[in-house]
Amino acid sequence: MNLILIPIVLPIAAALALLLICEKTKYIKELLAAGAAIVSLLAAANIFLQPPADLTLRWFGSAAFTLHADNLSAFLLLAVSLFSAAISVYSFSNPAKGPAKWFFFNLLMTQGFAAGAALADNMVAMLFFWEGLLVFLYTFIALSQNNHAARRTAMKAFLINGVTDLCLLVGITITAYIAGTASMSEIARNKLTLEYGWAVFAYVLLMIGAVSKAGAFPFHTWIPDAATDSSATFMAYVPAAIDKLLGIYFLARASVYLFALNQTMSLVLMTLGAVTILVAVMMAFVQKDYKRLLSYHAVSQTGYMILGIGTLNPIGIAGGLFHMINHATYKSCLFMTSGAVERQAGTTDLSKLGGLFRAMPVTGLCFVIAAAAISGIAPLNGFFSKELVYKGALDTGYTVFFIAAEIGSFLTLASFLKLGHSVYFGDRPENLKETKEAPFSMLLPMLTLAGICLAFGFGAELPLNWLIVPSLAGMSIPNPTMSGFHLDKLYFVSVIVILAAVINHLIGLAAGGGKADKASDHIHYAPVLKETYALAERRAFDIYELGMDKAVPFVSRLLFKADRFFDWAIDALPSGVAGFLGGSVNRFHNGSYPLYMALTLIGAVVYILLAGGLK
Amino acid sequence: MDKGLLAYLLIPLLSAVIIPFAARNRPRLADILANVTLLAGLVNIAWMVLRPSVVADGFADIPGDMLFPLLLVGAIYLVALCVTFFSAWFMEEGQPNRAAYYSLILASVSAMTGVVTTTDFFTLYVFIEVLAVTSFALITTDDSRGGIEGALKYFFLTFPASALIIAGISILLIVLGDLQFETLRIFMASDVPPGPAVFAAALIMLGFLIKAGVVPFHAWTPDAYQGAYAPVSAHLAGIVTKISGVYAIVKLGTLLRFFDGRASALSEMVMFLGLLSIAVGALAALRQKDFKRMLAFSSISQVGYIVLAAGLGTPLAVIGAVFHLFNHATFKTVLFLNSASVEKSAGTTDMEKLGGLEHSMPWTSWTSVIALLSTAGVPPLSGFWSKLLIILALWEAGLRGYAGLALLFSIVTLAYFMVMQRKIFFGRKSQAAESAPEVSAPLLAPAVLMSAVIVALGLLFPYFYTYVKMVAERIIL
Repeated sequence: MNLILIPIVLPIAAALALLLICEKTKYIKELLAAGAAIVSLLAAANIFLQPPADLTLRWFGSAAFTLHADNLSAFLLLAVSLFSAAISVYSFSNPAKGPAKWFFFNLLMTQGFAAGAALADNMVAMLFFWEGLLVFLYTFIALSQNNHAARRTAMKAFLINGVTDLCLLVGITITAYIAGTASMSEIARNKLTLEYGWAVFAYVLLMIGAVSKAGAFPFHTWIPDAATDSSATFMAYVPAAIDKLLGIYFLARASVYLFALNQTMSLVLMTLGAVTILVAVMMAFVQKDYKRLLSYHAVSQTGYMILGIGTLNPIGIAGGLFHMINHATYKSCLFMTSGAVERQAGTTDLSKLGGLFRAMPVTGLCFVIAAAAISGIAPLNGFFSKELVYKGALDTGYTVFFIAAEIGSFLTLASFLKLGHSVYFGDRPENLKETKEAPFSMLLPMLTLAGICLAFGFGAELPLNWLIVPSLAGMSIPNPTMSGFHLDKLYFVSVIVILAAVINHLIGLAAGGGKADKASDHIHYAPVLKETYALAERRAFDIYELGMDKAVPFVSRLLFKADRFFDWAIDALPSGVAGFLGGSVNRFHNGSYPLYMALTLIGAVVYILLAGGLK
Repeated sequence: MDKGLLAYLLIPLLSAVIIPFAARNRPRLADILANVTLLAGLVNIAWMVLRPSVVADGFADIPGDMLFPLLLVGAIYLVALCVTFFSAWFMEEGQPNRAAYYSLILASVSAMTGVVTTTDFFTLYVFIEVLAVTSFALITTDDSRGGIEGALKYFFLTFPASALIIAGISILLIVLGDLQFETLRIFMASDVPPGPAVFAAALIMLGFLIKAGVVPFHAWTPDAYQGAYAPVSAHLAGIVTKISGVYAIVKLGTLLRFFDGRASALSEMVMFLGLLSIAVGALAALRQKDFKRMLAFSSISQVGYIVLAAGLGTPLAVIGAVFHLFNHATFKTVLFLNSASVEKSAGTTDMEKLGGLEHSMPWTSWTSVIALLSTAGVPPLSGFWSKLLIILALWEAGLRGYAGLALLFSIVTLAYFMVMQRKIFFGRKSQAAESAPEVSAPLLAPAVLMSAVIVALGLLFPYFYTYVKMVAERIIL
């Protein structure tokens, strides 16, 4: 068997095997899941180091479904397997994940399908895995908590992603039609250009599918809801890691590998990225819940990746991809800390938390590292990837995107100051006096990820040279000159941003009466912004909720009317006509012999006359 | 008269004569004699036709002109056996004239065999009259008021038919100088202007249309079927009216060579009447309140299909007509026998008073479902194939309108049978159904056997098709 099949087949087989295990058994399910995830990780590492031969399955003689591990795919596969392994270890003793059997089933299924989507060379095969993820996205959320809100959010996630996946389907169909093949490596040999309408249309559809998977504005609205209605483990795995990885992976493939984009499309992408950064970070800044705040950041950070890829220059793309893996690392780690706090303290409401650093030093340490990384503080990994994105944005000549990204950084840091301050520092509330550190199985993956944040920061050369540059080379992009930490203008800008955020935090603390969770109120309740926030809280900007409130009832009413009409046309009308005719015929058969006889005779006479030649 | 098949005519006749004497003191002997006679005949036919060596040869051993009569004799014996077997358990002990009843059935079997084996018009006429008399007597078996009324209507409304047939035969004799079927066929194939012969044939055809109960000459059927003694309805609707009317129409249609357009006016008229029957029968059936009366209207509608196909006269249409004739015998027998079971068990056939019988009478209910689905032409049951052949033949002949309407009314067929099934067997149990047990196994056996035939013919249609095709080819050419 080809090694390339293991990361796909093993998790799916393990997931199916899980269903056979009795719900009451302890640790067997956990061990099976963690074992499958770790073996897959080893296989992925092997594939990364020694890319195996392509695996081609022919269908109907012509269409070939190829699994192909080029540098980017192998890199992505490695990341997917790494996070799966980390999460399955983390979930070992986390009770907040829902029924263990279904949790691990969903986890392993997601892993298998994500691996398939990463390795598929044929876009149709990729779509198959992509759509499979949609199914498990739904079940993952719906089964994580046994209440109505979870199912509602699951449906929301399903519908938003279902619609955008449909866009992807159409986009893939058109692309394959234009290119004459659905194989990505074949298309890449002769890239498509956006010279005529259909190609633009196809690319835009592919882009919608990709950025919505990554959770960009305006397709992000299910993520904050899932943060409240689902488990921290789910958040750490799917929206923070897998979705980002796959979405950005395919965005990079579409934008760089399949299509040769023009200036306009580049601007569209960068605008999308900048808007996502700003809108989501503004929302994140004022959140009062640990997980919800993180979830808005998960959206906001996507903006950097889209912005980076949208620059279309090697530095920017490298930054986007590097940010993708960095973000998955620290955001997964942050969600894990939120899960640990939730498990130990019983809540994620910022106003009820405080001073937990003493009680949970390891969790607190991991939080500090990951928060510093996401805020772009040198020399952690987030700093380097953001730096590359900034540089890429500046190189395009549109300084406005650079400024937007810096404002995003400022607010990110400000909100993490608020978050860290209100959870880990300050006074500990009376009821949290007994809080203890999280169990080792939760700390281990957190520490691992925090360690990766440090390693990719201090040794930024390593991931760049091992992961990013080969990936770019695989997409035939010239080797960009990327350097490690150095004192240039960008570094000073970042220092200014840090200082500004700290000052802002102090102002906020002063305005909020020293309460850390109220440190954002001076912006939250500022004129104009107050009303905007109020509208946003009422979901006035949520396309899904708007659609469900206005468009869906209207369309359903319309369809209902149409349905009634069809009912009438195929049911009431024919049965009415038949009933009327039947009734008339029936009234005639009244048993009267003279009537019958007369009918027979008249019929016979007419018949004889006609048969006799009368016309 | 085909001498090879004479035995099928004479033996039942002999039994019919023996039964009154033999069974004078032992009424049960009448049951046994009638059943044994018919069973022996059926086994004999099955041996002749379905012997593996014969089937393997493609029926080459059987003389060409015997195939069609054999098929029909088989159908006659099958239906009659079902009816007599059913009657043997259905009849009350005190029923008068058990012997007379079986004698009449056997006599009618004998007459029907005569009808399908004869080769000239006068013999045909004689047997048709014998059949009419036996039918008249059979309808009145249980001496009920409805039976007498039905019988009288049957007699008075169909006697013009006999007059018309004999008039037609007279003219034919003058024109052709001979009453052999072959003579008419050869005459129609020649270049002589066919005017008077066709007119004579049209009169004969009219007589048979009346006897077949084709709209607008159908008025006697519902009353006769509804009023008749229950197993007799099955016998009449299943086979007697089909042989005395519909068979003759098909035969006459082939003799007149409807397919080559020499008698196109008559052909068009027959087709029109067929379609009219389909429509009126189906629409009237929709609104019936009595099980047997609904089945009678359904019978009118189904006869319409056969007449329509006979009027078209192309080889495919004749195959369809012959096959539908056979299928009609199977499914209508099941339904009428089931109506008799329902009547015996629940005491009524009024659909308003019945309901929910499927719980207590599952076998009756499910054999009804099979039969009604076959009638409505639902694949893969036998009725589907025959209707398909008829509609295909119409379409091929360019009669799209006829084909469409035939299809449409087959949906109406399904509709009224669904209504019937829901009112009688499905739904909530009614008062009458509360105390209605399933009838005994011997009463179910004929319906189950016929249902099996329906399913088997449907599933084995490709094999059966070669046989029916051969039949149709041989009677046309």
